Amino acid sequence: MGDVIVGKGLTKVYGTTQKTHALKGFDLNVRKQEFLSIIGQSGSGKSTLLNLLGLLDRPTEGSIELVGVDVGGFSKRERATFRNEHLGFVFQFHHLLPEFSVRENLLMPCWIGGQSSSMGAARTRADEILELLDLGDVRDKQSNDLSGGQKQRVAIGRSLMNSPDIVLADEPTGNLDTKNTEQVYSLFRRVHEEWGTTFVIVTHDRSIAEQTDRIVEVRDGRIEQDVRNEHLAPSGGRSGTP
Amino acid sequence: MLSLRVALRFIAKSRFQSLFIVFGIAVGIAVQVFVGSLITSLQSSLLDSTVGGSPHVSLEPAEKGGVFAYTEAIRSIVQDTPAVTAVSPQIVVPVLATKGAAAVPLIVRAGEFAGLDGIYKLSQRTLEGDARTGGDGIVIGKDFADTYAVAVGDTLPLALADGTSVEARVSGIFDLGVQAVNEGTAFAESGLLSTRLGLAPDEVNVVETQIDDVFSSPTVADEWRAALPQLEVGDWQERNTELLTALQSQGTSSVMIQTFVIIAVMLGIASTLAISAVQKTRQIGILKALGMSDSSTGLVFFYQAGILGFAGTLLGLGLAVGLIALFSSLAAGPDSGLFPIELQPSFVAFSAGVGISIALLSAVIPYRSTARLDPIEVIQGG
Repeated sequence: MGDVIVGKGLTKVYGTTQKTHALKGFDLNVRKQEFLSIIGQSGSGKSTLLNLLGLLDRPTEGSIELVGVDVGGFSKRERATFRNEHLGFVFQFHHLLPEFSVRENLLMPCWIGGQSSSMGAARTRADEILELLDLGDVRDKQSNDLSGGQKQRVAIGRSLMNSPDIVLADEPTGNLDTKNTEQVYSLFRRVHEEWGTTFVIVTHDRSIAEQTDRIVEVRDGRIEQDVRNEHLAPSGGRSGTP
Repeated sequence: MLSLRVALRFIAKSRFQSLFIVFGIAVGIAVQVFVGSLITSLQSSLLDSTVGGSPHVSLEPAEKGGVFAYTEAIRSIVQDTPAVTAVSPQIVVPVLATKGAAAVPLIVRAGEFAGLDGIYKLSQRTLEGDARTGGDGIVIGKDFADTYAVAVGDTLPLALADGTSVEARVSGIFDLGVQAVNEGTAFAESGLLSTRLGLAPDEVNVVETQIDDVFSSPTVADEWRAALPQLEVGDWQERNTELLTALQSQGTSSVMIQTFVIIAVMLGIASTLAISAVQKTRQIGILKALGMSDSSTGLVFFYQAGILGFAGTLLGLGLAVGLIALFSSLAAGPDSGLFPIELQPSFVAFSAGVGISIALLSAVIPYRSTARLDPIEVIQGG
């Protein structure tokens, strides 16, 4: 299966007078339908990497190819359109829009994409996703009326609405208790298996990363280890790429 | 249309804040329309009472006290001027009116009734009797009648400069609102004096006119000066410089008041929308992360401003109409001392345009700050 993410020599430097190197020549290839986690301590550069892959930020140096498209020369508007059409995001904070109902929050990526001709189909898909996420009963509620776990499940549902090629999740369980954390990962796994969606999950929690198929450990802006799950070495060790 | 949908939800979610903005715009527009209409009506009322009943541009012979022939050529120049609304060729004669032992100086303005009425509004300002004088009739002022105990129907001998005398019958008593005029001026048909003075039918010593826009009198006067160099052209503005200054000052102050009201309304809307944009930063960041473009997110604030501006303007116009109706009902009372305010459709349309435009203009600041917003700031901030 082909690569849906090809990052070459990714460097990100913040600041002009006092420079901080968040990423230092990072290479990453992710195959289609992979279920991958990126782990590392706070400040290691993993969120920066996810922002670059999600076209929310631009690398100082290096190139990114997503689903076979070189996105380096994209304008701001082209990046926004690409995000909407090909990528799904799940953030640490659910980031739902309190002005809209649960179902409307799910429909938001379709509305942004302007797919007005298929709004009926989008509604049906939203309802199917809500059933999958066990949120069918709360579809018409305002997002503020939900529990933390429910909100994060709605955010997952929203990330899946436009049938993205890649779902990028940044500490998606960072604010959840153990039970909800388990539920979220089961959902990710189920969607991955049933729909074949590629998942890139950033987490600082090693036990969660161990539930994914491939683990990339980042330290000081560089890859520390990149292994299949069963070959994961103890933190600080180095292993061969898969 | 998503921008409109988001704008409507933002408005509905912050309904108290939205209501405050709508009321802010409404009060501003109501004040703008009310003050504007009040000052316009005050100016119109003042103009009506000061120069509304007097000539605006007049033609006189170059030689003081002489006469000139009001020929067909002059008549067509005057009447073909589009601004002219009334024309009154007159013979103006100083006489001595005899009442008992008193001989009182009077200026008699003799001309066709329609012309005199067009300039001096005699039919509206006649207190007793009839403004139409007929052959030997004369209309005198209220103060003259009171001072010398002259009543309608009385005979008033008028002594001319050549020593001859004319018997005039008092047909009416007017009040032009100016004591000097009420004491010293009388109106008559031209036939009363022209034959006695030996004047040809078209000979007059003044042609008085009124025009539709009193402030354009210099233009009309200049045109006539060029076309009729043999005559002296008089302009009310040259004779009433102080009144003109007062009227112009009033107009300028009106514009200044309205400008400051507009600025106050604009600052109010702009600051509230700017606060609203700050409050909605998180939502805008999320929408951008999901792929909404800068222009679409900015458009949210233009829709918000447009909707609030439209609602506020509509409410403001309603308030203004109510205020004006209230003021006019008070003015309609006997001896209220107030003048009626007229709501001018063009001014209302202008104010509505101003209200909506300044609301939209106020959205520029949130539009720009939204365009600059980086979704990462919001996403990482939580």
